[in-house]
Amino acid sequence: MTLTLNVNGKPSTVTVSDGSMPLLWVLRDLLGLTGTKYGCGIEICGACTVLVDGQPEKSCDMDVSSAVGRRIVTIEGLSANSSHPAQVAWIANQVPQCGYCQSGMLMSVAGAMQAGHHGASIMGEVNNLCVCGTYPRIKAACSKL
Amino acid sequence: MNIPNPLNRPSMEQSSRRAFLGTATSGLTLAFFLPEVSRIDELNAAPVGTTVNAWLQIGADESITLTVGSSEMGQGSFSGLAQVLAEDLMVDYAKVQTVQGGPTLATIAPIGTSINTVGSSVIRTNFWKMRDAAAGAREMLVQAAMQLAGDAVRTNFTVANGVVAHKPDAKTWTYGALAAAASKLAMPASAPLVPDTQFRLIGKTMPRFDIPHKVNGSAVYGIDVRLPNMVYAVIKHAPSFGGTLAKAPAAPSGYMVIPTKVVAGTNRGLEAVGNVNAVAVVGPNTWDTWQRARSLNVTWNLPANAASLNTAQFLADAQALAKNATPYAAGAPNGPGTLYTVEGDATAANSAIAAAAKVVDATYSLPYVSHACMEVLNCTVDYVAGVKCEVWAPTQSAKAVLSLVATLMPALQPSQITVHTTYLGGGLGRKAEVDFVSQALQVAMVVGKPVKLMWPREEDFTHDQYRPMALVHARAGLTASGQVMGWSYRNISPSILAQRGVPLGPKGDSQGYEGSQDLPYAFGTGLTEYVTHPSQIPVGFWRSVGASINTFAVESMVDELAVAAGMDSYQFRRSLLTDPRWIAVLDAVATLSGWNSAAASGHFRGIAIGTAFNSIVAEVVEISNVTSTGFTVSKVSIAMDCYLAVNPGQIEAQLTGGMVHGLNAALYGKQTFVNGAAQAKNFSKSRMIRPSEMPQVAVTLVPNPTVSDRTKAIGGAGELGVPTLAPALANAYYRATKNRVRALPFFPNATMGD
Repeated sequence: MTLTLNVNGKPSTVTVSDGSMPLLWVLRDLLGLTGTKYGCGIEICGACTVLVDGQPEKSCDMDVSSAVGRRIVTIEGLSANSSHPAQVAWIANQVPQCGYCQSGMLMSVAGAMQAGHHGASIMGEVNNLCVCGTYPRIKAACSKL
Repeated sequence: MNIPNPLNRPSMEQSSRRAFLGTATSGLTLAFFLPEVSRIDELNAAPVGTTVNAWLQIGADESITLTVGSSEMGQGSFSGLAQVLAEDLMVDYAKVQTVQGGPTLATIAPIGTSINTVGSSVIRTNFWKMRDAAAGAREMLVQAAMQLAGDAVRTNFTVANGVVAHKPDAKTWTYGALAAAASKLAMPASAPLVPDTQFRLIGKTMPRFDIPHKVNGSAVYGIDVRLPNMVYAVIKHAPSFGGTLAKAPAAPSGYMVIPTKVVAGTNRGLEAVGNVNAVAVVGPNTWDTWQRARSLNVTWNLPANAASLNTAQFLADAQALAKNATPYAAGAPNGPGTLYTVEGDATAANSAIAAAAKVVDATYSLPYVSHACMEVLNCTVDYVAGVKCEVWAPTQSAKAVLSLVATLMPALQPSQITVHTTYLGGGLGRKAEVDFVSQALQVAMVVGKPVKLMWPREEDFTHDQYRPMALVHARAGLTASGQVMGWSYRNISPSILAQRGVPLGPKGDSQGYEGSQDLPYAFGTGLTEYVTHPSQIPVGFWRSVGASINTFAVESMVDELAVAAGMDSYQFRRSLLTDPRWIAVLDAVATLSGWNSAAASGHFRGIAIGTAFNSIVAEVVEISNVTSTGFTVSKVSIAMDCYLAVNPGQIEAQLTGGMVHGLNAALYGKQTFVNGAAQAKNFSKSRMIRPSEMPQVAVTLVPNPTVSDRTKAIGGAGELGVPTLAPALANAYYRATKNRVRALPFFPNATMGD
């Protein structure tokens, strides 16, 4: 079946065997947007977090058919030139280590900011896993957002 | 500044030829060998000969490129190497381009064949080599300027920011302008290094090059590699270790099912060479292929001894060996269950303890623990029979990948084999193994197309090569006044090296006893023993490995002795230490944590100290909200002496990360087995701390020497946060509850949900 998605502000047409393919794999394999990561596949780790209509969603367990007609933003679309305040803060605070979880982390933070959170209250909305233990620098980076 | 994504990088063949031709247009190229000192050296003792694994290019266009063969898995060592290079080359750090190089077997290989990234080794083993090479290159450039100026007096020339100046006539040349002429000169046998007092970069916190790529999705990890016409393979293993394929299943329509076997070099314990222990399902994308793999009905043969492959049996075996094991004898088979004397004398230790006024006797146990890197195992291969094999892998051991390709594809010429090391979404020791690479190679040889093979998270958890389980029995005697007068320590643990076919000498497995020998304490008579546990569940290197096991047992036991002696945990340790470096680290962590002032009401502290990879590290863990069901880890203070710190901010990040790795393992980490099948299959059954559970962290580095000395060992940082966390936590918990936790993890039944 052929579906048209709105990804990072542009229409993207994909052909899937059925509508139950998770959005994560459509983004990664069919659209080549590999910034969104697979971590656990069961909505625990948050590495696959994207914004759907401005809300952070775990794309590993979201059927692509349910994403049709909604605004999907991935890490590649967060800003054109790494200029989103969270990205700037991430570089200033030298947050990433291995970096694998950070796309999802940033999308969770961006979603919290869109929902009106700022500073310390952002951390209350971010529950993603980072096995490298970058949490203190994430907290420091968020404190000024 | 850029670590190019692998698909955009010129092939190694092109780069290496350009590098070695050293033509006038290409500028100055230096090839130099960065040695490795690592545990995996024990497995791969083959000399590297004249090959080199890093090289420096200074282009006529003023570019400065450092190609590094080691892996970037978050430890920041690429940037650290560039920082060291820029210091002695006397250039702006921001001008150094760091490029990930891959090895090739062809003799021209600039990156060489000896590349492993393990043992917290990249900076500590390459620091002086990098400085010498940079200083040598700088002096070649100065010599070129001296020829152009017709002035042979070196003191008439100065260097700053990549520009050579001739003072008498105020002429200047950029490195780019001198590079071609310099390339015709010989590298000086020794070149003066920048004095420590003039360091601009070494010892300063500098930003990492890779971070900008890690905030916008552009960093390419192994799992992100995409090639034209690529197909996707998803692995499905026999549920039990040692299990083998009984009958090849029929492939779903439109898909292939390719059995894969254990090949030489990847066999571990029950996973014997030749065992067909998995099938790969191949299809058009990850998800559809994964669904076919899930629903594929495969019949597996269980290993003959499956019924005994369970956690309770492993523990019972260890308990029996704690009492009775066969001593090592030269020339004997020395099979599993052999008792090795690491140091000391049993008779002397036993009589010292027997004469003691008070004896403390304790047994500690640690489970198997998974690695659970955030990026699951994966590998992409482009194989064209008779033409080429290119491998993209998130590997800590490009060398082992290269050897594996050469073995599996003997018809290929060395120049036809290329390995690209991608960014690693965590390595933790697991990605030093190449079992997943061997599967991708086997699949590629069948499908005749580029293929990316991935392990679903459940396969990653259940077919790991785990941090070994261990049982430790420790005994020590105290005099009536609380002095230690005898120490006896026996660790029973499966041998990582024996599973890799390394013959064990009279001391046993160095990975197994790491952290339990050469203890810094004045214990009087001591004995350290190591016993090989017979379990054949695959085990492997894991961030700090043996040190994480033994430091828990040693430092828990020392704390028990402090309690028995009626002394403060910090002062008791301090009274037993003699080495001023150890004392300084212990004092530093005590100061940092406020040990000598009372903790806040309801807060309790524990302390531990240890060593690994030439660094000394101590941690104080503070817990609060202690109830019958749990507690909050409020604060962790970390002090380390690594002799010389290149990038303190990065060391702080690594110590914090290591501490979290240790905390995850201490609180929740365990893998258990039933009939040889691992039971924790995802994070749901192997919890990790969330942001809200993160303690406050404070780090201090014990001051560096005023003048660095190349005869002193530089210590590692990447793994150093791990070993002392668990004992400091258990010691804090004892202060809070008077309950001694001797079996990890603290919360074996913890689960985790969305």
